Amino acid sequence: MAETHQELLQRLEAASKTRQQAFMDEIAGKLNRPRVLSKPVQPFRGAPEFWLDFNWTLEEKIEQFINNYKAAGGHAFHLSGLDEVRSFIVSKANEMSAAYIVRQDQEELASLALEEALPEASIRVWNSEEDVNWKAKAAEADFGIVRADYAAAYTGSVTVLSDKTKGRSVSLLPTVLFVLIPESRLKTRLGEILPDFDTMGRENLPAGIHFISGPSRSADIENDLTIGVHGPGVVYALIYKES
Amino acid sequence: MSAARGQASSVKERADLALNDEFLRKAVKFTTERLRSGKIQAAEQHGNWDDWRERGRQIRLHTIAHLDYYLNEFTNNARANGVHVHFAQTGAEAVQISLQIAQSKSAKSVVKSKSMVSEELHLNHALEGVGIEAIETDLGEYIIQLAGETPSHIIIPAIHKNRYQIADLLSKEAGEELAPDTTILAGFVRKKLREKFLEADIGMTGCNFAIAETGSMVLFENEGNARMVTTVPKTQITLMGMERIIPSWTDLEVMATLLPRSATGQKLTVYMSGITGPKRSADADGPEEMHIIIVDNGRSNQLGNPEFQELLNCIRCGACLNACPVYRHIGGHAYGGTYSGPIGAVLTPSLQSNVGEWDDIANASSLCGACYEACPVKIPLHDMLVFLRRRKVEAGYDNKMETIGMKGFAAVAGKSKRLITAIKLGQLGTKLVARDGGIRLKIGPLKGWNTYRVLPSLPSKSFRDQWDKLQQEVKQDTPAMDPAMKARMEAFQQKRQGGNGHG
Ligand code: SF4
Repeated sequence: MAETHQELLQRLEAASKTRQQAFMDEIAGKLNRPRVLSKPVQPFRGAPEFWLDFNWTLEEKIEQFINNYKAAGGHAFHLSGLDEVRSFIVSKANEMSAAYIVRQDQEELASLALEEALPEASIRVWNSEEDVNWKAKAAEADFGIVRADYAAAYTGSVTVLSDKTKGRSVSLLPTVLFVLIPESRLKTRLGEILPDFDTMGRENLPAGIHFISGPSRSADIENDLTIGVHGPGVVYALIYKES
Repeated sequence: MSAARGQASSVKERADLALNDEFLRKAVKFTTERLRSGKIQAAEQHGNWDDWRERGRQIRLHTIAHLDYYLNEFTNNARANGVHVHFAQTGAEAVQISLQIAQSKSAKSVVKSKSMVSEELHLNHALEGVGIEAIETDLGEYIIQLAGETPSHIIIPAIHKNRYQIADLLSKEAGEELAPDTTILAGFVRKKLREKFLEADIGMTGCNFAIAETGSMVLFENEGNARMVTTVPKTQITLMGMERIIPSWTDLEVMATLLPRSATGQKLTVYMSGITGPKRSADADGPEEMHIIIVDNGRSNQLGNPEFQELLNCIRCGACLNACPVYRHIGGHAYGGTYSGPIGAVLTPSLQSNVGEWDDIANASSLCGACYEACPVKIPLHDMLVFLRRRKVEAGYDNKMETIGMKGFAAVAGKSKRLITAIKLGQLGTKLVARDGGIRLKIGPLKGWNTYRVLPSLPSKSFRDQWDKLQQEVKQDTPAMDPAMKARMEAFQQKRQGGNGHG
């Protein structure tokens, strides 16, 4: 009887645990000292001190984010609120004849009521039904719409975290991506975002944390920049005032 | 064994090929120039660049000095996240583990995002050997895979191909004529690989950083293919060099500041993804099963070696390649290993146990120090190159010319107030060799570099042209020697004079 996959995993796991000891012992041996078994004191952790109190005002953050995002080939706007976000997306959908839209299952996105404004389009809400191949739904979508968990102005990045209601595919597979950024989630530096994941701790981290800083791009053919190689080629970042 | 390496096996032949390929030379120069000026701009724009470099270096030094602790911590945390972690002492073992998983899954195809470790292992051939299709999905990697070649640059693997050559390759794949237009070509690849992503059983990635405290792995990329590979297939296998560790997400800010700016001049790559375990049970995408294979394959040889331990700090940004006048002249394939440029010149012999065969690759450097200046984690590559050369001489691989060369270096370096620039050394080398009647080195695959300096295989006119160009470049490009670097070289010089008889 051939080994089942489960049996293989168990066998590899047992081997791995034995190897782990030997591996670590060998490292310590080559470093000419006994094993380090308790957490060493880190003399330097994270960014240099001068960086830690670098913070822009909201206006500066908005301006810088927009500049950086545009420089990377994305489109970025500052809008007055969710109403304006709605009309923006609707007008783009009409302009580009978007027929398939997939969005995360997030409150702000539901409040846009795109289904009413775009009765012709098929609008799916991520993971809202059983027995649907959601990856395929995202792959066929013209538009993907997500609300960012964070954004960083200095690098022009948005951050999205995965969970049941927030698919990794929604910000990846559609042709055009819309990312909504509530003003309060816009930070100056990556250093205001990354340490949160240390604080959250291993057990609470999502499977996927993605920083996105513009359209998918490549310069692999003669250094000629092309966009949309694998991920979305057109990306809109919409910063909006929260009411 | 890769196809490209089979074709021109002696390094001299490879160097000749590279030197005679006008396009390659231009492409390498153009690209590296662009990346380099992008990097300089990004570094200047960012400000306090040296403080960031120093911070990056400190974090890497600390982690490597406590690697047993951090790697162990990473392993335990990744396991707690539901990842199957494996250890591979050698490349062959890593291949073995990957194949077992793939075969047990009855995989038909594996989609891969860029991984230098996988290049080290020649994994694609192994997969194909057992009837599993391996598809490189990074645009440049896909192109060279179709061509049956190996990457010639860490960051831009297909730098040596022009758009017409690429159009030919892709047209064959498409079964129709594709115009040599970047948008059309990239569009074809997008469509073609979309299908591959969606039907693949396994996604395979490398790993830029692994976070010890949470057992997460981090990937930097621009195309989105690494996200595809870690989102769509049901099984993910990640190959990770054992030294890729950093302690925390907080530390990732430093690496995220240094790596993209040094690699491409970007403030951040388009995608930076942190993956923590397989998909959660309620998630509707992400891999159901996730493996991380931690690979040694010669890396641990650097541990505890005062001259070479810092090699493990390398974040594979490629900045030293772009800065290196020799790389810019001969291109990546001439180095003949997985890694090229200054880092390759040091890493390849260090990873290989049969140093005797490889160490004269260290001669493919002008010792100008530009690689050190460019390195975001301040690895003293040029010092290491000098050590390698010395080690070779001491190991009895020396011959007359090489010894004279070393003496020449010592004499010049010892006397001059401001340490000599690369080009002066180069000239000296040429003179010495020429005086010796243009003899050829008989050992090691990189005899080509010295031979190239002596020029017997090249028409003297074109050599002169190239040499002048190189000389100008080096003059323009070589920054004044950093005082710390000067101090290190002088210290080395003193040691040499006080000690052995080879100086
Ligand atoms: S040695 Fe330094 S510059 Fe070269 S690839 Fe490694 S980190 Fe980058």
